[in-house]
Amino acid sequence: MHRRFVLPTTLSGWGVLLAFIGLLALGLWPVIGWINRAPSWLGMPAIVVWSYAVVFASCAVMAVANRFIDTEGPDDD
Amino acid sequence: MTSPAPLAITLSYVVVVMAIGLHARRGRRMDSLEEWGVAGRSMGPVTLYLLIAAGSVSAYTFMGAPGWAYAKGVPVFYVVVYLAYLALVAWYCGPRVWAFGERFGHVTQASAIADRYQSPFLGGLSALVMSVGSLAYAVLQTIGSAYILTVMSGGAIPVWLGVIGVLSCIALYLFVSGQRAIGRTNAFQGVLMFAVAWAVGLWAVHAATGGWRLAAVFDRLREEHAAWLSLPGAGGDMSFRFWTTSVIVSMLSFMPPVWTQWMSAASAGTIRRSATWLPSYYLVILPMVMVGFIGIYALPELARSDTVVLEYALQHLPAVLVGLLGAGTLAASMSSCEPFIHSVALSYGKDVIQPLCGLSDAATARLARWLIVPLMALVVAPLAIAEPGSLVMILLIGLGFATQVMPAFIGMFLWPRASRVGVIAGILVGFVVTTAFTTLWKHPLGIHAGFWGLMINLPVFVAVSLATRPVDAAVTERFFRIAAPQWYRRHGKKVIRTHNARESAAHND
Repeated sequence: MHRRFVLPTTLSGWGVLLAFIGLLALGLWPVIGWINRAPSWLGMPAIVVWSYAVVFASCAVMAVANRFIDTEGPDDD
Repeated sequence: MTSPAPLAITLSYVVVVMAIGLHARRGRRMDSLEEWGVAGRSMGPVTLYLLIAAGSVSAYTFMGAPGWAYAKGVPVFYVVVYLAYLALVAWYCGPRVWAFGERFGHVTQASAIADRYQSPFLGGLSALVMSVGSLAYAVLQTIGSAYILTVMSGGAIPVWLGVIGVLSCIALYLFVSGQRAIGRTNAFQGVLMFAVAWAVGLWAVHAATGGWRLAAVFDRLREEHAAWLSLPGAGGDMSFRFWTTSVIVSMLSFMPPVWTQWMSAASAGTIRRSATWLPSYYLVILPMVMVGFIGIYALPELARSDTVVLEYALQHLPAVLVGLLGAGTLAASMSSCEPFIHSVALSYGKDVIQPLCGLSDAATARLARWLIVPLMALVVAPLAIAEPGSLVMILLIGLGFATQVMPAFIGMFLWPRASRVGVIAGILVGFVVTTAFTTLWKHPLGIHAGFWGLMINLPVFVAVSLATRPVDAAVTERFFRIAAPQWYRRHGKKVIRTHNARESAAHND
Protein backbone atom coordinates (compact mmCIF):
# COMPACT_ATOMS: atom_id res chain seq x y z
CA MET A 1 0.00 0.00 0.00
CA HIS A 2 2.80 2.42 0.88
CA ARG A 3 3.96 2.37 -2.70
CA ARG A 4 0.64 3.72 -3.92
CA PHE A 5 1.01 6.99 -2.02
CA VAL A 6 3.91 9.38 -2.29
CA LEU A 7 6.05 8.95 0.77
CA PRO A 8 9.65 9.91 1.49
CA THR A 9 12.25 7.60 -0.01
CA THR A 10 15.25 8.76 2.01
CA LEU A 11 16.09 9.08 5.68
CA SER A 12 16.33 12.87 5.42
CA GLY A 13 12.96 12.95 3.64
CA TRP A 14 11.40 11.06 6.55
CA GLY A 15 13.09 13.42 8.98
CA VAL A 16 11.58 16.45 7.24
CA LEU A 17 8.14 14.82 7.19
CA LEU A 18 8.29 14.01 10.91
CA ALA A 19 9.50 17.53 11.70
CA PHE A 20 6.54 18.99 9.76
CA ILE A 21 4.10 16.72 11.59
CA GLY A 22 5.69 17.72 14.90
CA LEU A 23 5.28 21.40 13.99
CA LEU A 24 1.63 20.88 13.19
CA ALA A 25 1.13 19.15 16.52
CA LEU A 26 2.57 22.19 18.34
CA GLY A 27 -0.27 24.43 17.17
CA LEU A 28 -3.19 22.05 17.63
CA TRP A 29 -5.04 20.22 20.38
CA PRO A 30 -3.92 18.57 22.69
CA VAL A 31 -0.74 20.68 22.86
CA ILE A 32 -2.73 23.94 22.71
CA GLY A 33 -4.91 22.67 25.56
CA TRP A 34 -1.83 22.11 27.68
CA ILE A 35 -0.39 25.53 26.82
CA ASN A 36 -3.71 27.18 27.60
CA ARG A 37 -3.41 26.02 31.22
CA ALA A 38 -0.19 27.96 31.82
CA PRO A 39 -0.98 31.27 33.56
CA SER A 40 1.43 33.45 31.58
CA TRP A 41 4.90 33.48 30.03
CA LEU A 42 7.10 36.58 29.92
CA GLY A 43 4.14 38.51 31.34
CA MET A 44 1.97 37.65 28.35
CA PRO A 45 -0.78 35.06 27.85
CA ALA A 46 0.88 31.70 27.15
CA ILE A 47 -1.08 31.28 23.88
CA VAL A 48 0.42 34.52 22.53
CA VAL A 49 4.01 33.47 23.25
CA TRP A 50 3.36 29.94 22.00
CA SER A 51 1.83 31.15 18.71
CA TYR A 52 5.00 33.04 17.91
CA ALA A 53 7.12 30.12 19.08
CA VAL A 54 5.31 28.09 16.39
CA VAL A 55 6.07 30.86 13.87
CA PHE A 56 9.81 30.80 14.55
CA ALA A 57 9.92 27.02 14.82
CA SER A 58 8.35 26.89 11.34
CA CYS A 59 11.11 29.11 9.95
CA ALA A 60 13.77 27.00 11.68
CA VAL A 61 12.41 23.67 10.42
CA MET A 62 12.14 24.92 6.84
CA ALA A 63 15.64 26.43 7.01
CA VAL A 64 17.07 23.10 8.19
CA ALA A 65 15.00 21.18 5.61
CA ASN A 66 16.46 23.35 2.83
CA ARG A 67 19.88 21.92 3.63
CA PHE A 68 18.68 18.41 2.81
CA ILE A 69 17.17 19.08 -0.57
CA ASP A 70 18.12 20.44 -3.93
CA THR A 71 17.08 24.08 -3.74
CA GLU A 72 16.59 24.44 -7.46
CA GLY A 73 13.93 21.82 -7.94
CA PRO A 74 11.22 19.86 -6.16
CA ASP A 75 13.48 16.83 -5.96
CA ASP A 76 12.61 15.62 -2.52
CA ASP A 77 9.71 13.30 -1.98
CA MET B 1 -10.82 65.10 13.03
CA THR B 2 -9.66 68.56 11.96
CA SER B 3 -6.05 68.06 10.82
CA PRO B 4 -5.60 67.58 7.06
CA ALA B 5 -2.41 65.54 7.67
CA PRO B 6 -4.03 62.07 7.87
CA LEU B 7 -5.85 62.46 4.55
CA ALA B 8 -2.77 64.00 2.91
CA ILE B 9 -0.58 61.08 4.05
CA THR B 10 -3.16 58.50 2.95
CA LEU B 11 -3.57 60.10 -0.48
CA SER B 12 0.23 60.37 -0.83
CA TYR B 13 0.37 56.62 -0.33
CA VAL B 14 -2.13 56.19 -3.17
CA VAL B 15 -0.02 58.36 -5.49
CA VAL B 16 3.16 56.42 -4.64
CA VAL B 17 1.53 53.02 -5.14
CA MET B 18 0.09 54.17 -8.48
CA ALA B 19 3.52 55.28 -9.64
CA ILE B 20 5.08 51.97 -8.55
CA GLY B 21 2.33 49.94 -10.21
CA LEU B 22 2.57 51.76 -13.52
CA HIS B 23 6.37 51.76 -13.52
CA ALA B 24 6.46 47.99 -12.90
CA ARG B 25 5.82 47.35 -16.59
CA ARG B 26 9.15 48.93 -17.60
CA GLY B 27 8.79 48.54 -21.37
CA ARG B 28 7.63 44.93 -21.36
CA ARG B 29 4.84 43.86 -23.68
CA MET B 30 1.83 42.61 -21.73
CA ASP B 31 0.36 40.69 -24.64
CA SER B 32 0.84 37.15 -23.31
CA LEU B 33 -0.68 35.29 -20.39
CA GLU B 34 2.82 34.39 -19.19
CA GLU B 35 3.76 38.06 -18.92
CA TRP B 36 0.53 39.68 -17.72
CA GLY B 37 -0.57 36.67 -15.67
CA VAL B 38 2.59 35.42 -13.96
CA ALA B 39 5.14 38.19 -14.63
CA GLY B 40 7.12 36.02 -17.03
CA ARG B 41 7.99 33.74 -14.06
CA SER B 42 10.65 36.19 -12.99
CA MET B 43 10.22 37.20 -9.34
CA GLY B 44 13.14 36.94 -6.93
CA PRO B 45 12.93 35.72 -3.32
CA VAL B 46 12.53 39.12 -1.63
CA THR B 47 9.77 40.32 -3.97
CA LEU B 48 8.05 36.95 -3.72
CA TYR B 49 8.30 37.00 0.09
CA LEU B 50 6.63 40.42 0.25
CA LEU B 51 4.15 39.53 -2.51
CA ILE B 52 2.84 36.48 -0.65
CA ALA B 53 3.09 38.13 2.78
CA ALA B 54 1.30 41.34 1.82
CA GLY B 55 -1.27 39.38 -0.17
CA SER B 56 -2.17 37.31 2.88
CA VAL B 57 -2.29 40.33 5.22
CA SER B 58 -5.57 42.02 4.45
CA ALA B 59 -7.64 44.73 6.10
CA TYR B 60 -8.36 41.94 8.58
CA THR B 61 -4.94 42.51 10.17
CA PHE B 62 -5.57 46.21 10.77
CA MET B 63 -9.28 46.03 11.57
CA GLY B 64 -10.67 42.51 11.98
CA ALA B 65 -7.89 40.97 14.09
CA PRO B 66 -7.74 43.84 16.62
CA GLY B 67 -11.55 43.64 16.66
CA TRP B 68 -11.32 39.93 17.54
CA ALA B 69 -8.80 40.69 20.30
CA TYR B 70 -11.16 43.38 21.61
CA ALA B 71 -14.25 41.16 21.52
CA LYS B 72 -12.81 37.69 22.22
CA GLY B 73 -9.15 37.95 23.28
CA VAL B 74 -6.43 35.37 22.52
CA PRO B 75 -8.52 33.20 20.14
CA VAL B 76 -7.38 35.66 17.45
CA PHE B 77 -3.93 34.01 17.53
CA TYR B 78 -5.21 31.00 15.61
CA VAL B 79 -4.63 33.27 12.59
CA VAL B 80 -0.91 33.52 13.39
CA VAL B 81 -0.63 29.74 13.70
CA TYR B 82 -2.44 28.94 10.46
CA LEU B 83 -0.51 31.58 8.52
CA ALA B 84 2.73 29.96 9.70
CA TYR B 85 1.40 26.60 8.52
CA LEU B 86 0.42 28.08 5.16
CA ALA B 87 4.13 28.74 4.68
CA LEU B 88 4.79 25.00 5.18
CA VAL B 89 2.22 24.28 2.48
CA ALA B 90 3.93 26.85 0.21
CA TRP B 91 7.30 25.26 0.93
CA TYR B 92 6.08 21.80 -0.12
CA CYS B 93 3.57 22.55 -2.89
CA GLY B 94 4.91 25.84 -4.27
CA PRO B 95 8.01 24.46 -6.04
CA ARG B 96 5.95 21.65 -7.57
CA VAL B 97 3.26 24.04 -8.79
CA TRP B 98 5.96 26.26 -10.24
CA ALA B 99 7.54 23.31 -12.08
CA PHE B 100 4.13 22.21 -13.45
CA GLY B 101 3.56 25.75 -14.70
CA GLU B 102 7.00 26.13 -16.21
CA ARG B 103 6.97 22.78 -18.01
CA PHE B 104 3.28 22.50 -18.97
CA GLY B 105 2.50 26.20 -19.45
CA HIS B 106 -0.06 26.57 -16.65
CA VAL B 107 -0.79 30.12 -15.53
CA THR B 108 -3.76 29.42 -13.25
CA GLN B 109 -4.78 26.89 -10.64
CA ALA B 110 -7.74 25.78 -12.75
CA SER B 111 -5.55 25.13 -15.80
CA ALA B 112 -3.38 22.81 -13.67
CA ILE B 113 -6.52 20.96 -12.52
CA ALA B 114 -7.86 20.72 -16.08
CA ASP B 115 -4.52 19.32 -17.29
CA ARG B 116 -4.02 16.81 -14.47
CA TYR B 117 -7.52 15.34 -14.88
CA GLN B 118 -7.74 15.92 -18.62
CA SER B 119 -10.99 17.77 -18.08
CA PRO B 120 -11.57 21.34 -19.26
CA PHE B 121 -15.00 20.99 -17.60
CA LEU B 122 -13.43 20.39 -14.17
CA GLY B 123 -11.00 23.28 -14.74
CA GLY B 124 -13.80 25.65 -15.78
CA LEU B 125 -16.00 24.54 -12.91
CA SER B 126 -13.29 25.10 -10.31
CA ALA B 127 -12.49 28.50 -11.88
CA LEU B 128 -16.12 29.58 -11.66
CA VAL B 129 -16.77 28.36 -8.14
CA MET B 130 -13.43 29.61 -6.78
CA SER B 131 -14.30 33.01 -8.19
CA VAL B 132 -17.30 33.30 -5.86
CA GLY B 133 -15.10 33.39 -2.76
CA SER B 134 -12.41 35.42 -4.54
CA LEU B 135 -14.81 38.15 -5.64
CA ALA B 136 -16.54 38.29 -2.24
CA TYR B 137 -13.08 38.69 -0.68
CA ALA B 138 -12.18 41.47 -3.13
CA VAL B 139 -15.47 43.23 -2.35
CA LEU B 140 -14.82 43.12 1.40
CA GLN B 141 -11.32 44.55 0.91
CA THR B 142 -12.73 47.31 -1.30
CA ILE B 143 -15.27 48.18 1.39
CA GLY B 144 -12.38 48.39 3.88
CA SER B 145 -10.44 50.69 1.53
CA ALA B 146 -13.40 53.02 1.02
CA TYR B 147 -14.11 53.07 4.75
CA ILE B 148 -10.55 54.18 5.48
CA LEU B 149 -10.77 57.00 2.94
CA THR B 150 -14.07 58.13 4.48
CA VAL B 151 -12.60 58.17 8.00
CA MET B 152 -9.35 59.86 6.97
CA SER B 153 -11.27 62.58 5.10
CA GLY B 154 -13.59 63.18 8.03
CA GLY B 155 -16.53 62.07 5.88
CA ALA B 156 -15.68 64.30 2.92
CA ILE B 157 -15.03 61.26 0.68
CA PRO B 158 -18.24 59.20 0.67
CA VAL B 159 -18.04 55.42 0.43
CA TRP B 160 -19.17 55.32 -3.23
CA LEU B 161 -16.44 57.74 -4.23
CA GLY B 162 -13.84 55.84 -2.22
CA VAL B 163 -14.86 52.57 -3.93
CA ILE B 164 -14.62 54.09 -7.40
CA GLY B 165 -11.33 55.83 -6.61
CA VAL B 166 -9.59 52.77 -5.17
CA LEU B 167 -10.83 50.42 -7.90
CA SER B 168 -9.83 52.88 -10.63
CA CYS B 169 -6.28 53.03 -9.27
CA ILE B 170 -6.03 49.25 -9.06
CA ALA B 171 -7.61 48.79 -12.52
CA LEU B 172 -5.15 51.17 -14.11
CA TYR B 173 -1.95 49.59 -12.88
CA LEU B 174 -3.30 46.04 -13.12
CA PHE B 175 -4.21 46.63 -16.77
CA VAL B 176 -0.88 48.24 -17.57
CA SER B 177 1.52 46.00 -15.62
CA GLY B 178 -0.43 42.86 -14.57
CA GLN B 179 1.25 40.57 -12.07
CA ARG B 180 4.38 42.73 -12.12
CA ALA B 181 2.32 45.58 -10.67
CA ILE B 182 1.01 43.28 -7.94
CA GLY B 183 4.57 42.17 -7.13
CA ARG B 184 6.01 45.68 -6.93
CA THR B 185 3.09 47.29 -5.13
CA ASN B 186 2.82 44.41 -2.65
CA ALA B 187 6.52 44.73 -1.91
CA PHE B 188 6.06 48.41 -1.08
CA GLN B 189 2.81 47.78 0.78
CA GLY B 190 4.37 44.91 2.73
CA VAL B 191 7.21 47.09 4.05
CA LEU B 192 4.82 49.96 4.76
CA MET B 193 2.36 47.77 6.66
CA PHE B 194 5.06 46.24 8.82
CA ALA B 195 6.56 49.61 9.74
CA VAL B 196 3.18 51.24 10.37
CA ALA B 197 1.85 48.34 12.44
CA TRP B 198 4.83 48.42 14.79
CA ALA B 199 4.92 52.24 14.99
CA VAL B 200 1.21 52.43 15.82
CA GLY B 201 1.29 49.43 18.15
CA LEU B 202 4.29 50.62 20.19
CA TRP B 203 2.97 54.16 20.39
CA ALA B 204 -0.39 52.84 21.61
CA VAL B 205 1.33 50.66 24.22
CA HIS B 206 3.31 53.65 25.42
CA ALA B 207 0.21 55.84 25.52
CA ALA B 208 -1.71 53.21 27.48
CA THR B 209 0.95 52.03 29.95
CA GLY B 210 3.63 54.71 30.02
CA GLY B 211 6.25 52.17 28.93
CA TRP B 212 7.22 50.14 25.86
CA ARG B 213 6.69 46.60 27.23
CA LEU B 214 3.89 44.75 25.45
CA ALA B 215 3.42 42.62 28.56
CA ALA B 216 2.37 45.67 30.58
CA VAL B 217 -0.90 45.78 28.63
CA PHE B 218 -1.88 42.44 30.14
CA ASP B 219 -1.21 43.40 33.78
CA ARG B 220 -4.51 45.24 34.00
CA LEU B 221 -6.41 42.78 31.81
CA ARG B 222 -5.33 39.88 34.03
CA GLU B 223 -7.28 41.33 36.94
CA GLU B 224 -10.35 42.68 35.19
CA HIS B 225 -10.73 40.65 31.98
CA ALA B 226 -9.14 37.25 32.60
CA ALA B 227 -11.53 35.51 30.19
CA TRP B 228 -9.84 37.33 27.26
CA LEU B 229 -6.44 35.76 28.06
CA SER B 230 -7.08 32.07 27.52
CA LEU B 231 -9.22 29.82 25.33
CA PRO B 232 -12.16 29.69 24.72
CA GLY B 233 -11.94 33.50 24.96
CA ALA B 234 -14.46 36.10 26.06
CA GLY B 235 -17.20 34.90 23.72
CA GLY B 236 -16.70 31.31 24.91
CA ASP B 237 -16.85 30.09 21.33
CA MET B 238 -13.21 29.20 20.51
CA SER B 239 -13.04 25.70 21.96
CA PHE B 240 -9.95 23.55 21.40
CA ARG B 241 -11.94 21.67 18.77
CA PHE B 242 -12.82 24.84 16.90
CA TRP B 243 -9.26 26.19 17.18
CA THR B 244 -7.79 22.95 15.85
CA THR B 245 -10.24 22.44 12.99
CA SER B 246 -10.13 26.13 12.01
CA VAL B 247 -6.34 26.00 11.74
CA ILE B 248 -6.47 22.80 9.65
CA VAL B 249 -9.20 24.05 7.32
CA SER B 250 -7.54 27.44 6.85
CA MET B 251 -4.11 26.00 6.08
CA LEU B 252 -5.62 23.69 3.45
CA SER B 253 -7.46 26.48 1.60
CA PHE B 254 -5.64 26.64 -1.72
CA MET B 255 -6.83 30.00 -3.04
CA PRO B 256 -6.13 30.69 -6.75
CA PRO B 257 -4.06 33.90 -6.28
CA VAL B 258 -1.57 31.96 -4.18
CA TRP B 259 -0.95 29.59 -7.10
CA THR B 260 -0.48 32.54 -9.42
CA GLN B 261 2.06 33.97 -6.94
CA TRP B 262 3.97 30.68 -6.80
CA MET B 263 4.01 30.49 -10.59
CA SER B 264 5.43 34.02 -10.76
CA ALA B 265 8.67 32.94 -9.05
CA ALA B 266 11.93 32.86 -10.97
CA SER B 267 12.61 29.26 -9.88
CA ALA B 268 11.39 26.49 -7.61
CA GLY B 269 14.20 27.31 -5.18
CA THR B 270 13.01 30.92 -5.00
CA ILE B 271 9.69 29.77 -3.57
CA ARG B 272 11.42 27.61 -0.96
CA ARG B 273 13.64 30.48 0.15
CA SER B 274 10.65 32.84 0.39
CA ALA B 275 8.44 30.32 2.19
CA THR B 276 11.19 29.57 4.70
CA TRP B 277 11.11 33.09 6.12
CA LEU B 278 7.48 33.88 5.35
CA PRO B 279 6.15 33.14 8.88
CA SER B 280 8.42 35.86 10.30
CA TYR B 281 6.33 38.48 8.48
CA TYR B 282 3.33 37.63 10.64
CA LEU B 283 4.93 39.53 13.48
CA VAL B 284 2.96 42.32 11.78
CA ILE B 285 -0.20 41.04 13.49
CA LEU B 286 1.10 41.32 17.08
CA PRO B 287 1.21 45.13 17.50
CA MET B 288 -2.19 45.59 15.88
CA VAL B 289 -3.72 42.98 18.15
CA MET B 290 -2.14 44.75 21.15
CA VAL B 291 -4.17 47.86 20.27
CA GLY B 292 -7.27 45.66 20.34
CA PHE B 293 -6.33 44.48 23.85
CA ILE B 294 -5.74 48.08 24.96
CA GLY B 295 -9.18 48.99 23.62
CA ILE B 296 -10.82 46.54 26.05
CA TYR B 297 -10.29 48.98 28.90
CA ALA B 298 -9.60 52.21 26.97
CA LEU B 299 -12.72 52.05 24.76
CA PRO B 300 -15.20 49.90 26.68
CA GLU B 301 -18.33 51.19 24.92
CA LEU B 302 -17.29 50.65 21.32
CA ALA B 303 -20.24 49.83 19.03
CA ARG B 304 -18.22 48.04 16.32
CA SER B 305 -15.23 46.02 17.52
CA ASP B 306 -13.40 46.20 14.14
CA THR B 307 -13.06 50.00 14.49
CA VAL B 308 -11.03 49.68 17.71
CA VAL B 309 -7.63 50.62 16.18
CA LEU B 310 -8.99 53.57 14.22
CA GLU B 311 -10.99 54.87 17.19
CA TYR B 312 -8.03 54.52 19.53
CA ALA B 313 -5.71 56.21 17.02
CA LEU B 314 -8.10 59.11 16.48
CA GLN B 315 -8.35 59.69 20.23
CA HIS B 316 -4.78 59.06 21.38
CA LEU B 317 -2.27 59.17 18.52
CA PRO B 318 -0.69 62.18 16.73
CA ALA B 319 -2.09 63.13 13.34
CA VAL B 320 0.96 61.83 11.47
CA LEU B 321 0.55 58.35 12.95
CA VAL B 322 -3.18 58.42 12.20
CA GLY B 323 -2.32 59.22 8.59
CA LEU B 324 0.24 56.42 8.47
CA LEU B 325 -2.35 54.07 9.95
CA GLY B 326 -4.74 55.11 7.18
CA ALA B 327 -2.06 54.44 4.58
CA GLY B 328 -1.14 51.10 6.19
CA THR B 329 -4.74 49.93 6.38
CA LEU B 330 -5.38 51.03 2.81
CA ALA B 331 -2.22 49.17 1.78
CA ALA B 332 -3.46 46.04 3.53
CA SER B 333 -6.84 46.08 1.81
CA MET B 334 -5.48 46.99 -1.64
CA SER B 335 -2.65 44.44 -1.47
CA SER B 336 -5.10 41.61 -0.95
CA CYS B 337 -7.85 42.96 -3.22
CA GLU B 338 -5.75 43.24 -6.38
CA PRO B 339 -4.44 39.64 -6.56
CA PHE B 340 -7.97 38.28 -6.25
CA ILE B 341 -9.38 40.47 -9.03
CA HIS B 342 -6.36 39.68 -11.22
CA SER B 343 -6.64 35.92 -10.67
CA VAL B 344 -10.38 35.86 -11.38
CA ALA B 345 -9.90 37.78 -14.65
CA LEU B 346 -7.01 35.49 -15.61
CA SER B 347 -8.94 32.33 -14.81
CA TYR B 348 -12.20 33.44 -16.50
CA GLY B 349 -10.20 34.16 -19.64
CA LYS B 350 -7.95 31.09 -19.60
CA ASP B 351 -10.16 28.40 -18.06
CA VAL B 352 -13.73 29.37 -18.94
CA ILE B 353 -13.90 31.53 -22.07
CA GLN B 354 -10.89 30.15 -24.00
CA PRO B 355 -12.12 26.52 -23.94
CA LEU B 356 -15.71 27.59 -24.71
CA CYS B 357 -14.87 29.91 -27.61
CA GLY B 358 -11.65 28.31 -28.86
CA LEU B 359 -9.68 31.55 -28.60
CA SER B 360 -5.97 31.75 -29.35
CA ASP B 361 -3.54 32.38 -26.47
CA ALA B 362 -2.91 35.93 -27.70
CA ALA B 363 -6.64 36.74 -27.86
CA THR B 364 -7.12 35.18 -24.41
CA ALA B 365 -4.34 37.34 -22.98
CA ARG B 366 -5.98 40.50 -24.37
CA LEU B 367 -9.36 39.37 -23.09
CA ALA B 368 -8.08 38.59 -19.57
CA ARG B 369 -6.60 42.10 -19.27
CA TRP B 370 -9.85 43.73 -20.32
CA LEU B 371 -11.92 41.46 -18.07
CA ILE B 372 -10.75 43.33 -14.97
CA VAL B 373 -12.86 46.30 -16.11
CA PRO B 374 -16.29 44.59 -16.21
CA LEU B 375 -15.40 42.57 -13.10
CA MET B 376 -14.74 45.77 -11.18
CA ALA B 377 -17.48 47.89 -12.74
CA LEU B 378 -20.27 45.33 -12.74
CA VAL B 379 -19.48 43.12 -9.75
CA VAL B 380 -16.99 44.49 -7.22
CA ALA B 381 -17.97 48.18 -7.24
CA PRO B 382 -21.79 47.75 -7.04
CA LEU B 383 -21.47 45.14 -4.28
CA ALA B 384 -18.95 47.25 -2.33
CA ILE B 385 -21.25 50.29 -2.52
CA ALA B 386 -24.43 48.33 -1.70
CA GLU B 387 -22.76 46.21 1.04
CA PRO B 388 -25.38 43.43 0.94
CA GLY B 389 -25.86 41.66 4.26
CA SER B 390 -25.25 38.28 2.66
CA LEU B 391 -21.70 39.18 1.57
CA VAL B 392 -19.91 37.60 4.52
CA MET B 393 -22.00 34.46 4.08
CA ILE B 394 -21.05 34.33 0.38
CA LEU B 395 -17.40 34.70 1.39
CA LEU B 396 -17.64 31.92 3.98
CA ILE B 397 -19.26 29.58 1.47
CA GLY B 398 -16.65 30.53 -1.13
CA LEU B 399 -13.80 29.85 1.29
CA GLY B 400 -15.50 26.59 2.28
CA PHE B 401 -15.29 25.53 -1.33
CA ALA B 402 -11.60 26.42 -1.47
CA THR B 403 -10.84 23.73 1.10
CA GLN B 404 -13.08 21.19 -0.58
CA VAL B 405 -10.93 21.27 -3.74
CA MET B 406 -8.36 19.34 -1.68
CA PRO B 407 -8.86 16.03 -3.58
CA ALA B 408 -7.72 17.68 -6.81
CA PHE B 409 -4.41 18.53 -5.12
CA ILE B 410 -4.01 15.16 -3.43
CA GLY B 411 -4.23 13.67 -6.90
CA MET B 412 -1.59 16.12 -8.09
CA PHE B 413 0.98 15.69 -5.32
CA LEU B 414 0.34 12.52 -3.33
CA TRP B 415 -1.94 9.90 -4.89
CA PRO B 416 -1.64 9.00 -8.56
CA ARG B 417 -4.75 6.84 -8.55
CA ALA B 418 -7.10 9.85 -8.13
CA SER B 419 -9.67 9.90 -10.91
CA ARG B 420 -11.58 12.76 -12.49
CA VAL B 421 -14.96 11.39 -11.31
CA GLY B 422 -13.55 10.81 -7.81
CA VAL B 423 -12.37 14.41 -7.58
CA ILE B 424 -15.70 15.81 -8.79
CA ALA B 425 -17.66 13.57 -6.39
CA GLY B 426 -15.49 14.52 -3.41
CA ILE B 427 -15.69 18.23 -4.17
CA LEU B 428 -19.47 18.20 -4.64
CA VAL B 429 -20.17 16.24 -1.45
CA GLY B 430 -17.71 18.33 0.55
CA PHE B 431 -19.18 21.56 -0.76
CA VAL B 432 -22.76 20.54 0.07
CA VAL B 433 -21.77 19.50 3.61
CA THR B 434 -19.70 22.65 4.20
CA THR B 435 -22.47 24.91 2.90
CA ALA B 436 -25.11 23.18 5.04
CA PHE B 437 -22.92 23.36 8.15
CA THR B 438 -22.08 27.02 7.47
CA THR B 439 -25.64 28.22 6.87
CA LEU B 440 -28.19 25.82 8.38
CA TRP B 441 -26.51 24.06 11.30
CA LYS B 442 -23.45 26.11 12.15
CA HIS B 443 -20.28 24.18 13.01
CA PRO B 444 -21.90 21.12 14.68
CA LEU B 445 -20.21 19.91 17.90
CA GLY B 446 -17.94 22.95 17.81
CA ILE B 447 -16.10 21.60 14.76
CA HIS B 448 -15.47 23.85 11.74
CA ALA B 449 -17.93 23.28 8.87
CA GLY B 450 -15.06 22.96 6.38
CA PHE B 451 -13.56 20.16 8.49
CA TRP B 452 -16.86 18.26 8.40
CA GLY B 453 -16.85 18.76 4.65
CA LEU B 454 -13.36 17.26 4.37
CA MET B 455 -14.30 14.29 6.58
CA ILE B 456 -17.04 13.35 4.12
CA ASN B 457 -15.26 14.58 1.01
CA LEU B 458 -12.03 12.54 1.33
CA PRO B 459 -13.57 9.05 1.80
CA VAL B 460 -15.98 9.71 -1.09
CA PHE B 461 -13.07 10.90 -3.24
CA VAL B 462 -11.02 7.76 -2.51
CA ALA B 463 -13.93 5.33 -2.93
CA VAL B 464 -15.16 6.84 -6.20
CA SER B 465 -11.61 7.12 -7.56
CA LEU B 466 -11.01 3.43 -6.92
CA ALA B 467 -14.30 2.56 -8.61
CA THR B 468 -13.76 4.64 -11.74
CA ARG B 469 -11.32 4.79 -14.62
CA PRO B 470 -7.97 6.41 -13.73
CA VAL B 471 -6.51 9.31 -15.64
CA ASP B 472 -4.37 8.30 -18.62
CA ALA B 473 -1.04 6.88 -17.37
CA ALA B 474 1.03 9.22 -19.54
CA VAL B 475 -0.55 12.26 -17.90
CA THR B 476 -0.19 10.89 -14.37
CA GLU B 477 3.45 10.01 -15.02
CA ARG B 478 4.07 13.48 -16.41
CA PHE B 479 2.85 15.04 -13.17
CA PHE B 480 4.46 12.63 -10.70
CA ARG B 481 7.82 12.79 -12.44
CA ILE B 482 7.79 16.39 -11.14
CA ALA B 483 5.74 16.06 -7.95
CA ALA B 484 7.78 13.16 -6.53
CA PRO B 485 10.74 12.28 -8.76
CA GLN B 486 12.51 9.88 -6.43
CA TRP B 487 9.32 8.04 -5.49
CA TYR B 488 8.42 7.92 -9.19
CA ARG B 489 11.74 6.34 -10.12
CA ARG B 490 11.55 3.72 -7.36
CA HIS B 491 7.85 2.82 -7.28
CA GLY B 492 5.63 5.23 -9.15
CA LYS B 493 6.27 4.26 -12.75
CA LYS B 494 5.39 0.64 -12.09
CA VAL B 495 2.46 1.45 -9.79
CA ILE B 496 0.87 3.91 -12.23
CA ARG B 497 1.22 1.64 -15.27
CA THR B 498 -0.01 -1.45 -13.41
CA HIS B 499 -3.00 0.44 -12.08
CA ASN B 500 -3.95 1.89 -15.40
CA ALA B 501 -3.60 -1.39 -17.27
CA ARG B 502 -5.69 -3.26 -14.68
CA GLU B 503 -8.36 -0.62 -14.35
CA SER B 504 -8.63 0.01 -18.07
CA ALA B 505 -9.01 -3.72 -18.68
CA ALA B 506 -11.68 -3.95 -15.98
CA HIS B 507 -13.62 -1.02 -17.38
CA ASN B 508 -13.35 -2.30 -20.94
CA ASP B 509 -14.83 -5.61 -19.79
